[in-house]
Amino acid sequence: MAGRRRVAFLLLLVLACGDRPGTTIRLWVHSGPGPEREAYAASVAAFNATRSDVRVELTVLPEGTYGDQVHAAAIAGQLPEVLELDGPTVAEYAWARRLRPLDGLPALEAARADLLPSLAAQGTYRGRLYALGQYDAGLALWGDRRLLAKARVRAPRTVDEAWSRRDFERVLWRLKRVGVARPLDLKLNYGAGEWFTFAFAPLVWSLGGDLVDPATGRARGHLDGPAAREAMGLLQAWARAGYIDPAARNDADFVLGRSALSYVGHWAWPTYHKALGRNLVLMPLPRFGERAVTGSGSWCFALSAGGRHPQAAADLLAWLMSPREIRRVTTLNGAIPGTRTALRASPLYRPGGPLALFAEQLDRGLARTRPRTPAYPAISAAFAEAVNNVLAGADPARELGRAAAAVDEEMEDNPGFAGN
Amino acid sequence: MTVPLSPTRWRKLAGRCAPWLFAAPALLLFGLFLAGPFLMALSYSFTNKRLLAPPDLGAAWVGLRNYERLFRDPEAWAAARNNLLFAGVVVPVQSALALGLALLVNRHLPGSRFFRTVYFAPVATTLAVVAVVWSLLYLPEGGAANALVDLATLGRVGPRDWLRDPGLVLPAIMVLSIWQGAGFQMLVFLGGLQAVPRDLLEAAELDGAGPLRRFLHITLPLLRPTTVFVLVTTTIQSFQLFTQVQVIASGGASAPLDSFRTTVMLLVHEGFRRGRVGYASALSVLFFLLVLAISLLQRRLLKGSR
Repeated sequence: MAGRRRVAFLLLLVLACGDRPGTTIRLWVHSGPGPEREAYAASVAAFNATRSDVRVELTVLPEGTYGDQVHAAAIAGQLPEVLELDGPTVAEYAWARRLRPLDGLPALEAARADLLPSLAAQGTYRGRLYALGQYDAGLALWGDRRLLAKARVRAPRTVDEAWSRRDFERVLWRLKRVGVARPLDLKLNYGAGEWFTFAFAPLVWSLGGDLVDPATGRARGHLDGPAAREAMGLLQAWARAGYIDPAARNDADFVLGRSALSYVGHWAWPTYHKALGRNLVLMPLPRFGERAVTGSGSWCFALSAGGRHPQAAADLLAWLMSPREIRRVTTLNGAIPGTRTALRASPLYRPGGPLALFAEQLDRGLARTRPRTPAYPAISAAFAEAVNNVLAGADPARELGRAAAAVDEEMEDNPGFAGN
Repeated sequence: MTVPLSPTRWRKLAGRCAPWLFAAPALLLFGLFLAGPFLMALSYSFTNKRLLAPPDLGAAWVGLRNYERLFRDPEAWAAARNNLLFAGVVVPVQSALALGLALLVNRHLPGSRFFRTVYFAPVATTLAVVAVVWSLLYLPEGGAANALVDLATLGRVGPRDWLRDPGLVLPAIMVLSIWQGAGFQMLVFLGGLQAVPRDLLEAAELDGAGPLRRFLHITLPLLRPTTVFVLVTTTIQSFQLFTQVQVIASGGASAPLDSFRTTVMLLVHEGFRRGRVGYASALSVLFFLLVLAISLLQRRLLKGSR
């Protein structure tokens, strides 16, 4: 082992000397299903071209096992200097002290000041900032103009015109009546994983509830509370009425006209736009309760605590957060640019742009961050399983009760999790 | 001062060491990758070890807490039940089917080579791919499974949502697993069949034994070692059920997870998704003991009737 390490070190030394003098830092990113990896590769190449003293080594890992690989590296103390994390996992790594706080790093001051509030919230754990995101995500309703017209439904355009729950259910009913097979596409084909939490936690929030107590992190009375039960009841009622297709395995239901409404994130834009063209309408999320709530949060970058070249790592992070690099990646993946400057300059998201509604939802404070606690993996797994079982007809109160008990057991076992 | 070993004593010593030397590589690998990890799991199972924790927060001893919880955990019970049901159906059915296929392709009929390849093809296909393809066959609308049922029952049995019906999801997984796995056991049986001496069969035929009697009294007893091997390996394999169920659970909304989640799937989720290594270790220790007990019982039963 020691011998191998020495060989690897010598190899690295030779590479470093042969190439350029200076430091090498590693960057890990995920690849797929979106096209982000191409943008990351271009960003790194551009960075390497401008810097003679720092060389960035990019490692691209498939999205499906990215979390496992980062976990393994963290346990082995082999995290790269700069790494990508999915938003809700930041708290776990910060709690485990594997990340370097970004407060007080001068190279990042500009990006921090410019960051969207939703991303600042996502990267913060116990008052300290640990991650910066190049882009954010949002939920909205996409509609097929032809099918909506057939059912004589007028599509709302702004947050203020958003449908109420009654409006929304009436629309579903009318669409079903004019022959739309499954009026609402919920992307259930994504499977019982993070999507279920990202998509349906906003239902609970909109109905006035929460997944866990924001102060104590306990789930009892929240995850199994009245709002969560009502949200599950809604899903079950839609399934019974045939408005949604719980057996969906096909990503193209909306594009094929089997559904007239698609409840999904910004990432559907390139596909939907290509398929429907001018017949695609973007609508705000309905107000299921008092107010509409959308999810937010996406992949972001953090610095590892053990990294040997914090200065170079911070420089790379600052480079990635520059308006030009943010524009590079968001042009490819269609995500919401993560800084105010980049958002204003975006042809898609600036006022009047085709996706401006996402920016409006963020601006109006409709976006909520998923619980920022190291218990998040347990919360999300429990909630997603409850949603899955409820869609198959299980009793919401029983499923949510079990989910809440699982989360509370997690909190009891780990006194360090409480508080944020 | 050392006394030089006499040649005889030297040979004796070498003779005693040689077996160990030959066994050393295997023992080393066994210790490193099987015994070591198992002992680690055993020790973790009495702690609250997490996958990722602050460097200064070690795992604390929690005694039997993980085991106590396991016995109260409905998910663990459901997973054990699913495993037992799956093995209880799949082991006999898949083995019998494999034997039947082997008998079929062992007859020197035209095309038997072709069918050997056809029956073996699913084994050579990646399990994840098989599971994805089958989950399309099981679609409630437009799936081939429903079309087949409709045809067979002349439309008397309506379309079913195979993967979301709590009562149908496990049988659906059994069918796809048997289809995928039987080809391998067929090959093993085929090897056994070809070792059955032809003259014995011919002698029996001359004595007037029909095909059924020849099969029951000559082929089957001579296949005994093969059958034992097939039954034991199929049992162990069927307890490791993971890929199919994982694919079905992540390809869309599924039946309630407790109606088909297996122990290995629960173990992976507890340990790697929720990071509860201590709890997952306890689960793996109990699961090991269960499979060990079943394998020992099976060996005993099969030996006893010899």
